[in-house]
Amino acid sequence: MTVRKLALLAAAAVAAVACGGGTSTGQTTITLGAPLGLTGSLTKESTLTQQGYNLWLDWINARGGIVVNGVKHPVVIKYYDDTSNANQSAVLMQKLITEDKAQFLLGPYGSAATATDAAIAEQNQIPMVEANGAAQSIFNQGYKYTFGVLSPANKYLEGVIDMAATLSPKPTTIAMLSADDNFSIEVADAINSYAPTKGMRVVLYKKYKNGATNLSAEVQAAKAVNADIVLNSGHLQEAIAINKAAKEQKLNAKIFAYSVGPSTPDFIAALGNDANYVYDGSQWTPQVKYTPAFYLTVSDYVAAYKAKYPGLGDPDYHVAESTAACLALQRAIENAGSLDPKKVRDALAALDVTVFFGQIKFDSRGINIYKPMVVEQIQAGVHHTVFPADVADAQAKYPTPAWDQR
Amino acid sequence: MADFVQLVILGLLAGGVYVAVGVGFGLVWGVLNIVNLAHGALVIIGSYITWQLFTALHLDPFLTLPVDAVALFVLGYALQRGVINRIIRAPLLFTFLLTFGLNLVVINVLLFIFGSDFRSVTPAYSGQGLEFGSVVIPYVPLISLGVAILLSAALAFILNRTRIGLAINAIAADRDAAQLVGIDLRHAYAVTFGLGAACAGVAGGLIAMSQAITPTAGEPYTLQAFVVVILGGLGRVSATVVGGLAFGLVEVFAQSIPGSGSVFANAIAFGLMVLVLVTRPQGLLGRLR
Repeated sequence: MTVRKLALLAAAAVAAVACGGGTSTGQTTITLGAPLGLTGSLTKESTLTQQGYNLWLDWINARGGIVVNGVKHPVVIKYYDDTSNANQSAVLMQKLITEDKAQFLLGPYGSAATATDAAIAEQNQIPMVEANGAAQSIFNQGYKYTFGVLSPANKYLEGVIDMAATLSPKPTTIAMLSADDNFSIEVADAINSYAPTKGMRVVLYKKYKNGATNLSAEVQAAKAVNADIVLNSGHLQEAIAINKAAKEQKLNAKIFAYSVGPSTPDFIAALGNDANYVYDGSQWTPQVKYTPAFYLTVSDYVAAYKAKYPGLGDPDYHVAESTAACLALQRAIENAGSLDPKKVRDALAALDVTVFFGQIKFDSRGINIYKPMVVEQIQAGVHHTVFPADVADAQAKYPTPAWDQR
Repeated sequence: MADFVQLVILGLLAGGVYVAVGVGFGLVWGVLNIVNLAHGALVIIGSYITWQLFTALHLDPFLTLPVDAVALFVLGYALQRGVINRIIRAPLLFTFLLTFGLNLVVINVLLFIFGSDFRSVTPAYSGQGLEFGSVVIPYVPLISLGVAILLSAALAFILNRTRIGLAINAIAADRDAAQLVGIDLRHAYAVTFGLGAACAGVAGGLIAMSQAITPTAGEPYTLQAFVVVILGGLGRVSATVVGGLAFGLVEVFAQSIPGSGSVFANAIAFGLMVLVLVTRPQGLLGRLR
């Protein structure tokens, strides 16, 4: 078959789908736009984000689309690759709005890109629901059109402190290592002010360059203060580097907890047995127990993910929170009974619904401070939820044994 | 005191990787006058070969290093003969453009093959080491440093004691005169680039053991190789060794400044580079031409 014939066939198929859509469902499709870092340094997390969006997209279109005043509107998500560059993300967000006529926006990956995109959403007065920008600095700008379904940055490691306060013997000293990006510093600063309220002291607070691969000096400093808890606020790559250096340099602590990293399968694959006993704060785990008002239950969600993306294991929280962003937007459109951006914005501001991801409700700044974070621990190569007790599926293995006694 | 000794050791160990990354980069720069912006990408190809052999065949990661070297030599030779040779006498900007483009191509091919997952090679003995009181010397970085020194010695041997190495030196000294005395420029160029790539491959294998790799993980190493070569001085392998070890020491000591000193580790390293350029433009050990 020639290329021309193929193209004609494809065009005919597209036309058929478009016309067919018109009879059985609503007259118009809803176009959502999302720039994602499909290449570049944030490819991994951006791909997880896209998986979360697409999982919902399949589900909603299988039902004919979002129901607005009794009429079903199928949904299209238009993606662009922002090459993991925050400024490029904003440019593409504007293109999505002006050229692709995106009616609503889904967030990019990461606090940096979310911050630049939020400004574009605000200028154009189009609601953006995002799931991957947790820095509170995004939400302290007075923006009215950006909504984040995830718990803000300051909550990432507070759960670990809450958990530590319940353990015996109670750990009392903390070495806090942090990358120097906005998000990581917010996580670390929150621990600095929160730990004393739980009777713990931060004895070392050390920042390093975002993306650093050699963290031996930082680990040495943590070893020198001999803290009970070693916390890292950074990213997957730095978490792996710190864990490797900790073993090499015989840094022993009762708790090792990293803000981002251990929840991904990569962490265990990269470190093998050395990943055991590590804690992390997680937005969501496949073990949580929430009763959803709509969409799938937690176990059905995990099953749906495994069916669509076989061989990748359980969905991690980046996937789940991204799906949750779509759910928030869907419910807000339904509640508004309109596709008018302003009405949907108001419906988002008033939203209060529990889904498989947890409660989704926004404070006056647009961030979801109502959903708790959970604490995970890797035990024998498997993720277990260990805190809070009402959603936990295992006890914390505490204290972490010394490296030479494992 | 023990703390100081430990930091010196950590700095020298960290320097091992920088030496390995720097020698290949310096060779290509010195002889071909190409600042190879794809060097970091070549490094990461080596990382993936080591990772693949370690995960699929359970080979000891250090035993995979010769495979990295041979594979990257072949790739480097072919790249030079097929692509880079076309612009070898073009202005510097063209070589920047071409190698930057190569960098993007390699990264995206790796993304296509391996995806963006973070991988790392963690052999059973990883994390173990020698202990002298409170001072520890972990095995993997120690062997890595040894490999980097051996690699540099091998490169120096090839350059100073073999026929092709002398030809390469002759070209570096005077390209036209070398051609006049019958040196096959294209072949010698390709061998040079191949040797540089082979060093990058070995460095990549070492890096796969020390950190998590992803297709874009090589980019910082291009920059670091640049600093290492300038610090040590262009045109001598031994100078790059000194530059790499110095860079490791500076990095670790900058990072151990209390508070947020680590944030400025790069700034300090680059500041040092500027200082060296101003006071000793030929580098710590370089020779003036």
